[in-house]
Amino acid sequence: MDAIQNLLMGFAVALTPQNLLFAFLGSVLGTVIGVLPGIGPVAGVAMLIPLTFQMNPTGAIIMLTALFYGTQYGGTITSVLLNVPGEAASAITCIEGYEMAKQGRGGAALAIAAIGSFVGGTIATFALVLAAGPLTRMALEFGPVEFFALIVLGLSLLMGLAGKSMIKALMMGIFGLLLAMVGMDPVRGLPRFTFGRMELMDGIGFVPVIMGLFGLAEILGNAEKQFGQVFAAKMSSLIPTPKDIRDSIGPILRGSAIGTLLGLVPGMTGSASSFLSYIAERKVSNHPERFGTGLIEGVAGPETANNAHANGALIPLFTLGIPASPTVAVIMGAFMMHGLIPGPFLFKEHPDVAWGTIASFYVGNVILLILNLPLVGIWVKILKIPYGLLFGIILAFMVVGAYSVSNSAFDVLVMTLFGLIGYLLRKLDFPLAPVVLTLILGPLMERSLRTSLEMSQGDMGIFLESPIAIVLLALAAFFLIAPAFRFFRRGKGALSGDEEA
Amino acid sequence: MKRVYQTAGLCFVGLSAFVVWESWTLEYYTNLGPGPGFFPLWLGVVMGALSLAWFVQVSGRKGGPDDVAILPERAGILRILSTLAALAAMAGLMNLFGFQLAMFLLLVFLLKVLGRQALWVTLVVALLGSVGVYHLFGAYLDVPLPAAAVKLLANLGL
Repeated sequence: MDAIQNLLMGFAVALTPQNLLFAFLGSVLGTVIGVLPGIGPVAGVAMLIPLTFQMNPTGAIIMLTALFYGTQYGGTITSVLLNVPGEAASAITCIEGYEMAKQGRGGAALAIAAIGSFVGGTIATFALVLAAGPLTRMALEFGPVEFFALIVLGLSLLMGLAGKSMIKALMMGIFGLLLAMVGMDPVRGLPRFTFGRMELMDGIGFVPVIMGLFGLAEILGNAEKQFGQVFAAKMSSLIPTPKDIRDSIGPILRGSAIGTLLGLVPGMTGSASSFLSYIAERKVSNHPERFGTGLIEGVAGPETANNAHANGALIPLFTLGIPASPTVAVIMGAFMMHGLIPGPFLFKEHPDVAWGTIASFYVGNVILLILNLPLVGIWVKILKIPYGLLFGIILAFMVVGAYSVSNSAFDVLVMTLFGLIGYLLRKLDFPLAPVVLTLILGPLMERSLRTSLEMSQGDMGIFLESPIAIVLLALAAFFLIAPAFRFFRRGKGALSGDEEA
Repeated sequence: MKRVYQTAGLCFVGLSAFVVWESWTLEYYTNLGPGPGFFPLWLGVVMGALSLAWFVQVSGRKGGPDDVAILPERAGILRILSTLAALAAMAGLMNLFGFQLAMFLLLVFLLKVLGRQALWVTLVVALLGSVGVYHLFGAYLDVPLPAAAVKLLANLGL
């Protein structure tokens, strides 16, 4: 009952005119970012963080989270109408969605996808409401030893699943940790790797790094080809037939369960959820041979799953303080920039922020349903803007975003440098998701490791004295070693991928 | 193309060696426990081992990466380098010329030269993106963007 009371208190916060406006703005921007090829949710959220500095923390987090799950809605539009996934998590939707569009049923596919996304997001948020109490109580028992083990487990899961090569994923994880080492040592307060530059005393800003690695690198990748592509999509009636609705109920429910559960697992991406949902639908179908010809089940399941995943991925952040995906890691960074530490203490110390944001997920999903059903034509029109114009505008926003983090032109240079690094790493097929997570978790990881070792006066045995830490570390070792065995590797290619979300 | 991967592997080995070297100059252990050099030193060592392992892996591989065309065409490389150079110039000039002029020039370059947009479109977007954004951010979002350090430009309101 506590959870319901807290949620009602959260609605009182989320439904203020100001917070409604922020949820609306986040939803609109998320849909736009989802629709536009070439800018994903990670760079999108990072780019908007500086604009939230003058906002109150609740409004800022409400806007950024709405933007995050809004991208999942927007990504569907291009997948269905153009066969171009706006977001990686919507890639699988192209198979059935685009076939439906070719048959003149694109509008129905989008309508079912929006309804499924709404149901999936709502169910995952309800799971967060239920999980918040027990998980935060458990997390409050954690000391630095258990917290360190938990971070190690989260990172090992991510690296075990990111990309095709474990070595590359580990290298990228350590690369992120090394970037996090720049600046003041979090325990002693001594400068490290600053090379005498004042700009580096506070560390390398994660906003310019992420905008470079994810946003600018993507733009540079597109710059390889001549600009000028203009998409033209045709829309049909948005009203699904009664048969479409009947055929979608099962996939939407299954997709909600798959997305919510996989969203909890660090390293599991939104595309893993949508892919598994698609596979599940083909398995339970009475006519699996018809998949690939434009079946609504192949749109309803995956689109529900990826949105449930986006909302489900916020559960570990809110309850344990551990981000499960790169975009959630960026949102965690936004929390910290507003002086808030996500995790169990957030519910104790800032219940208005925690429950207000959770309640806003329901509000945001309703807004997105409205935005995506009657207004879908507007989003399609955005695709008609020539890329040669769009890329300049996006770059200008990136410059402003990078500069305004700390009013420093140095950050624009950092973004430019990491854009080049990100472009080269993509070319070499390195996964970038581990960099984001370790960059943000690095200082917390180091602090918990060093505090643990100070408690034991340097004895590593302290990690074997806590049963919770033993279990977490054993699981971490398992997930790191498992891919070495062919058995576990089978099918991993389909689940992995260095995509965003 | 194998050489591209090997070069990248060596770059990572070099980075690891640099990190280990730098960490060595920091305190590894104190009376209270691990010092500032403890974590980066071990990270550098592990990174070095992984980089070497990857270098050996790509060196011994037949096919695979060799078959992948990594480098874009000459025109693509030029567009990428121009974009990076324009952004670096923006970073260098925004404090000197002020945000408005620097952003106007950046947008004109990006839209007209790289994006090949019509002149009127370029000018309208560049004006909105420079003068418009400067005033919008300063007046409504309380995010001050830099004014020109050059007196003549500052007197012109840039």
